[in-house]
Amino acid sequence: MKPKLSLIILAILSIVLLSVYFLPMPIYYKHVLILTLFYAYMGTAWNIMCGYAGRLSLGHAAFAAVGAYTTLILYRGLGLSPWLGMIAGGLLAVCIMMLIAYPCFRFGLKGPYFTLASIALMEIVQNLLTFMRSLTGGSLGLSLPYKPTNFALFQFDGKETYYLIILLFWAIAVFAVWKMERTRYYLEAIREDESAASALGISVNKNLIKAAVISAFLVAIGGAFYVQYFRYIDPYTIAGFGLSLNLALVTIIGGSGTIFGPTIGAVILIPLSEFLRLSAGTQLPGLHLFVYGVLLIMTIIYLPKGIASIPGIMNAKKIRKANIKNAAAGGSGVNE
Amino acid sequence: MSMETFLQIIASGILLGGIYALLSIGLNLIFGVIKIVNLAHGDFIMLSMYATFFLFTTFKINPYISTLIVFPLFVILGIIIFKLIIKPLLGKGETEVNTILATAGLGFVLQNAALMLWGSDFRAIETNLTGKSYEFAGIMLSAGRFWAFIVCLVVAGVLYYLLMYTSLGSKIRAVSQDSDAATLMGINVNMIYTLTFGVGIALVGIGGAIITPTFYVFPTVGLYFNTLAFIIVVLGGLGSFTGALVGGLIIGLIETFTGVVASAELAQVFSLLIFLVILFVKPEGIMGKGARV
Amino acid sequence: MSNCILQVKGISKRFGGLQATNNVSFDVYENEILSIIGPNGAGKSTLFNLITNFYTVDSGSILYNGKDIVGMTPDAICELGITRTFQVARPFPGLSVADNILVALLPKSKTVAEARGKVDGILQQVSLKQKANSMGGELTTLERKRLELGKALATDPKVLLLDEVMTGLKPKEMDEMMDLIRELKKRMTIIFVEHVMRVVMGISERVLVMDHGSKIAEGTPQEVTSNPEVISAYLGRGTGNAGN
Repeated sequence: MKPKLSLIILAILSIVLLSVYFLPMPIYYKHVLILTLFYAYMGTAWNIMCGYAGRLSLGHAAFAAVGAYTTLILYRGLGLSPWLGMIAGGLLAVCIMMLIAYPCFRFGLKGPYFTLASIALMEIVQNLLTFMRSLTGGSLGLSLPYKPTNFALFQFDGKETYYLIILLFWAIAVFAVWKMERTRYYLEAIREDESAASALGISVNKNLIKAAVISAFLVAIGGAFYVQYFRYIDPYTIAGFGLSLNLALVTIIGGSGTIFGPTIGAVILIPLSEFLRLSAGTQLPGLHLFVYGVLLIMTIIYLPKGIASIPGIMNAKKIRKANIKNAAAGGSGVNE
Repeated sequence: MSMETFLQIIASGILLGGIYALLSIGLNLIFGVIKIVNLAHGDFIMLSMYATFFLFTTFKINPYISTLIVFPLFVILGIIIFKLIIKPLLGKGETEVNTILATAGLGFVLQNAALMLWGSDFRAIETNLTGKSYEFAGIMLSAGRFWAFIVCLVVAGVLYYLLMYTSLGSKIRAVSQDSDAATLMGINVNMIYTLTFGVGIALVGIGGAIITPTFYVFPTVGLYFNTLAFIIVVLGGLGSFTGALVGGLIIGLIETFTGVVASAELAQVFSLLIFLVILFVKPEGIMGKGARV
Repeated sequence: MSNCILQVKGISKRFGGLQATNNVSFDVYENEILSIIGPNGAGKSTLFNLITNFYTVDSGSILYNGKDIVGMTPDAICELGITRTFQVARPFPGLSVADNILVALLPKSKTVAEARGKVDGILQQVSLKQKANSMGGELTTLERKRLELGKALATDPKVLLLDEVMTGLKPKEMDEMMDLIRELKKRMTIIFVEHVMRVVMGISERVLVMDHGSKIAEGTPQEVTSNPEVISAYLGRGTGNAGN
């Protein structure tokens, strides 16, 4: 996709989504919109490391948890504004990511081993959070004391402001990915063939760590948003495999390694799951997750690069047909 | 700590280790031969536990007998899952990543199918072994775990014999060492893969059946076993048969020890840290390079 | 006498029981075309791997413009100006041909736009303009080799290491490639590993002969092919043969 085109799409989408803010609608719909943008944002962040660089992490919830708990604990304990707490959480997440990423990349941990390591990290974080009960409330979780609308305290009555904030976060994340054009190419090359990329002057370690760190920071910030919006967290949801897999899901089904893939995935999956949850209700609990599972399996088998890859596939088919025609008509077909 | 307590911990740890090993052998086989990670591993344990539960409550079949029913059923289940989900992903690019994701999706499917069908209540069965303990030289051994340990040894022994002394076993070992060379030597690699997956799932099924008397049964019980199984498999050595046993014992001992001395969560953290260290330093595990016995 | 751009001094490499490279030393002069020949298994490709540090030498030093590059990462070595091609071409399969070239151009371009502007030029040089939008994974072997060369040229190398670029080419294509190499020589130093004698005799200024990990001869093509040791290493093959 030509670079300018992506930027235009981002601008258009932002304006559309911004105007939605002014539409009257039931509170529940607003909640679904916020949730959708939240996962679009988180997926976009996850995509930087896992889609473009191809290192599948299923433990990213660890960083969301770090962001969420840091923000909440600093606020509850020191009264620190969540806006600052969130930065602190982001930086802590970065430190933890460096701690694990450095040995991973240095020891050349790849493929399934890397994924297992990421899951192990998440479980360590989850267990530590449960263990440090006096600080984190343990398995009972921790709640955000309610305060009426207060921007500095990142708390609002009503959903509108939360919507605007997550919309802003999402737009910034997508813009950041768009801006990182050079790094994206490097990461793709590294994903395709690490040694060949290295032979062309691309530093594998530097770029992987860059992707890992940015992705961890953004996901942590997302965790902070989560706690301010839901006003409650516990280790099993915010540091759990479910959240990690959701990030992966929206990205993969939408299209990993593309700018808008995660957004597309979120726009399709989140409303779908909310709809399923409502209609199945108590009779069929977990139906939406069941559907998620089925969709993931089918996507991996039939459309591994996600929905965003459909135009690319059609294009490739066209080119292949043209190549065959050329070869049949023009002899060797290599020199024009 | 008194000598008695120490010995008790060792004994309990070994029994626990045996169970863990039993639950991991299937994963080890699949991971070692087909070279894929099955993130739904724990959920097959869950399925088997439910099957055992229903066989017991409906037909009064003792869990140890149910293994005879569960085993063939799960072989078939494994083969079906392999053909539907795994086989389409083999041989194309990014096989390993894709199979992890696909099996993660499968896990979701199984967990929530269980949730929808059977609800989230914790189930438990009471057999003649429940709550019983044997005493041996002043040490208490949980009866359920003791017999599970015995079954583990039997299963391990049978599998060992199969792998080492039958022609099918040598084919499996050949494929796990070098599938291309195996093809060139006329081995039907696809059939071996299918069979291995089926048997791997069936072994998981046996494990699940055996532990049903000693664990609660609920839809997400698989998650608990998943991480554990992977730690054991990697620790012991991917594809190394004795490694799975050794890994299981080590983790069983560590968990029991840390659980007594510190806390359950710290025991988990400790195992996970060891896991990470092994992944970094020696991913082939304690027993060394993949796919040997 | 042009200046010595690369000095390989006494490098050795052992893989388990095999001494792949045994105390090899040679100099490479700026803008020359040096070819490395030798029977199969002589360790020619290993030499490339050692120079660009895909494997690190056990002992010895490699001086590039006087600076020892042993132990530097392959990407740092490429940045300095030494680029290698792989014997079996390694295109990025999921990227288009144009993007393959773009990626190779990026490290040495200030902006992405600047790199984009150069893609066509490179595609033209290696005759792949028509295939610009095809995926890297869908090329014929010949096209892969061209892409491999294109990517190497995109890195603007001072020293270009070509690993068996001629294999599988028809005679006409070989001539075209030889012309290209003669062109390139004006801007860079070229070291190439080759089996095809016609090419070696046709464009090399100097030849290095390897056998069993050691250097057994060095000199002009004529000197080297009349060297009895070289002839016996090839078991009787000499200039009389048309190569492949």
